[in-house]
Amino acid sequence: MPDSRLLLQDAPNKRALLLGNEAIARGILEAGISVVTTYPGTPASEIADSISEIAAEAGVYMEYSINEMVAVEVAAATANCGVRSLSAMKHVGLNVAADALVTLAYMGVKGGCVIVTADDPECYSSQNEQDNRFYALLANLPCLEPSNAQEAKDMTVSAVEISEKLELPVLLRTMTRVSHTRGPVIYGKLTKPNLKGEFVRDIKRMNLVPANSRPMHTVLLKKAEKAKELSETLQYNTIIRKSKSGKLGVISASAAFNYAIEAIDALDLDASVLKLGMTHPLPEKLIGAFLKKHKKIVVVEELEPYLEMQVKAIAKDYAPNVKIYGKMSTPYFPRDGELSTRTVVVGLAKITRRKLPINFEEIDKKYAEVLKDLPRRPPILCAGCPHRASFYVIKKATDGKAVYPNDIGCYALGFAPPLSIGDGFLCMGSSVSMAQGINKVTGKDTIGIIGDSTFFHAAIPGLINAVYNNHKITLAVLDNQTTAMTGHQPHPGTGVTGMGVPTEKVLIEKVAEGCGVKYVRVVNPFKVKEATAVLKEALQHSGPSVVVFRSPCALMVVRDRRRKGAKIMVCKITEECTNCMACIKLLGCPALVLVDGKAGINEALCIGCGLCASVCPYQAIKCEEIG
Amino acid sequence: MKEFNIVLTGVGGQGILLAAEILGTAALKEGLNVRVSEIHGMAQRGGAVVSNVRIGENVLASTFLDGKADVLLGFEPLETLRSVNLASEKTTVIMSDERITPTELTAKKMEYPSLKEIINKICSFTKNIIIVEAAKLAKEAGNILTENVVLIGALAATKKMPVKDESIIEALKELVPTKHLDTNIKAFKLGYEYVQKYKPKL
Ligand code: SF4
Ligand code: SF4
Repeated sequence: MPDSRLLLQDAPNKRALLLGNEAIARGILEAGISVVTTYPGTPASEIADSISEIAAEAGVYMEYSINEMVAVEVAAATANCGVRSLSAMKHVGLNVAADALVTLAYMGVKGGCVIVTADDPECYSSQNEQDNRFYALLANLPCLEPSNAQEAKDMTVSAVEISEKLELPVLLRTMTRVSHTRGPVIYGKLTKPNLKGEFVRDIKRMNLVPANSRPMHTVLLKKAEKAKELSETLQYNTIIRKSKSGKLGVISASAAFNYAIEAIDALDLDASVLKLGMTHPLPEKLIGAFLKKHKKIVVVEELEPYLEMQVKAIAKDYAPNVKIYGKMSTPYFPRDGELSTRTVVVGLAKITRRKLPINFEEIDKKYAEVLKDLPRRPPILCAGCPHRASFYVIKKATDGKAVYPNDIGCYALGFAPPLSIGDGFLCMGSSVSMAQGINKVTGKDTIGIIGDSTFFHAAIPGLINAVYNNHKITLAVLDNQTTAMTGHQPHPGTGVTGMGVPTEKVLIEKVAEGCGVKYVRVVNPFKVKEATAVLKEALQHSGPSVVVFRSPCALMVVRDRRRKGAKIMVCKITEECTNCMACIKLLGCPALVLVDGKAGINEALCIGCGLCASVCPYQAIKCEEIG
Repeated sequence: MKEFNIVLTGVGGQGILLAAEILGTAALKEGLNVRVSEIHGMAQRGGAVVSNVRIGENVLASTFLDGKADVLLGFEPLETLRSVNLASEKTTVIMSDERITPTELTAKKMEYPSLKEIINKICSFTKNIIIVEAAKLAKEAGNILTENVVLIGALAATKKMPVKDESIIEALKELVPTKHLDTNIKAFKLGYEYVQKYKPKL
């Protein structure tokens, strides 16, 4: 999508090719959702990013909240004033918001409230593969699961309606292959947003002290009963195909449903298919009747056997003799990693004793031959990335001998050689807290490494903890002035809001001082000498210290220069080069390459950051502007 | 048409996702059903990028089975090879010869394998290979960043796509910023003509 403004077209029945996430953004506009909050996280980012570009024009309020918990709390409050609200995040983001979410289910809402969670099977850009359908089970919340872009839009609208009907927040669970797949979407009508809410004091419902929580739990369970009734007749829970023989029935949802249908066709199976769009609470009667009609049932789902467990429980009451196949007891499908048409074809073929339509073995054998000696190409820090300079400084100042807990963001890539800085991370903000634990029991120099957006998201309580308990750690904040990893969203340190309005710039160094840190310095990582000296001094400090490495993300620099038509600097290797390979050995910049056994610079990639020039012992690298 | 599958493969930053969107939009313009898969996040940091474009009534999933690619559009030789499991002897491979050295090779002081070696390996899956001097043509069009559109032009010229050239150009006009449109149209034409005059050098 070149221009999010196209989402604003008041053109019912128009057919557009949208990313799942863009489709949700369109759904937001069609549903009249008026408040959108988020903390950016792949694969959910484009939902709020699309809204961010058009919010003012659409009359929607959007914000990049400081973290997911705050995002949900803001949306919970606006929804409780009767304003339709949505909060979007990645799957692990919901862990951050879980404290608010589970109790919000007790409190309930007045205006529609949708919480989007985007799961990431295969960990394309995440630290785990958790299956967030269990949050619906845990919190007793309705959960809708689209399988394509059209449904992503439609279900956003339905989620709001269901939320208002039941006075409960509704989870909309997507995943990478739904969020990041484009498909045709037929537009519906736009609904004018309404930002005007009213707060009605309702202590019994909203003041969840134990005396009020107990009865609200009962209220929640009643609402859940109603949700179950609704699930029985909801259009998204439906039998898509009926088999002629009645032998085989397949139950599936979300992206797994797409693989299931294509696999059934590839194997030419006569199967009924029950597609579930609302996966919590499940339509017990509908499933029960479906089980009764078949001899064999196959549950096709991604990650955990969430549906299978419940279908088996339903079978006990409705059809105790039906055979149910999936991934429990005998695993026909993998429980880890991403599903694919191939994994489903293989599993289904085993269950139905069919021959495979494709000789996968032969392909695998030939492919293994190709993969031999094929160099990998994992993501790396971009050419000219300021983090590379920071890591180089950190390594130089500590001789590589400290411990370096790091955090979530581009800089997590610093663990790769040759820089090899970064000893692991757990979740947002874990660098600062883990550093304290490590230093406590090892006594080693410990440098926590964190980005600017992550600092605001989750480091402040940890930093206060370091001050209060006097942990001798150093926190290196790699401040590239943006949330680079997820697509360059603003944050409190950038001085601009999600609506594009200039705002108060919150300075990391001031926050650190406010937390009580006595040694706080700001350096430019490309000034290697100075920065190294400062970091060494910080490590000498008796209590916690903070060094902010500030320099903008290289991608932003290049984009800015291109936009302005300015020249791009490129560095060149001159005759003085002795081919000592120091630049290549020390930095790992992708623009530094080997040409006929000699160090060289790829002009198309180099942005002239000059880091290699400052590393070269023979001053053999010169930087110049090119047109 | 039951299904038509294209896999686009290359390195983050080469404009693969835009190319995939252009192809998908062209199909949509002709009223066809389509799925375009994209993976964002870490993949864009110079890592390998793969996108599938699937056209056809029965297409639901965003990815397809091994061996089922009709076209493999390779933006970079090594990455083309990495996706070759999706190809069979029916697949047409259209590949840019522009190499981007993986840092792993540089670090180990190893040179990039020769184009000949790579082509030989691809040949164990399919012999229909068209090598396009995409970077050279993109520069000729006026902007090295139009390599992706050169390749789209090359694909159009093979007449394999189940959509008309005009629909692709329409999609291009819709998705490329106006100030870069002329360069992009030129890139499309250069890629197109290159394939029309193409003589296999294998
Ligand atoms: S996106 Fe920015 S911060 Fe991330 S690796 Fe590239 S230059 Fe560095
Ligand atoms: S100046 Fe050196 S380190 Fe910086 S981008 Fe260019 S080659 Fe890489």
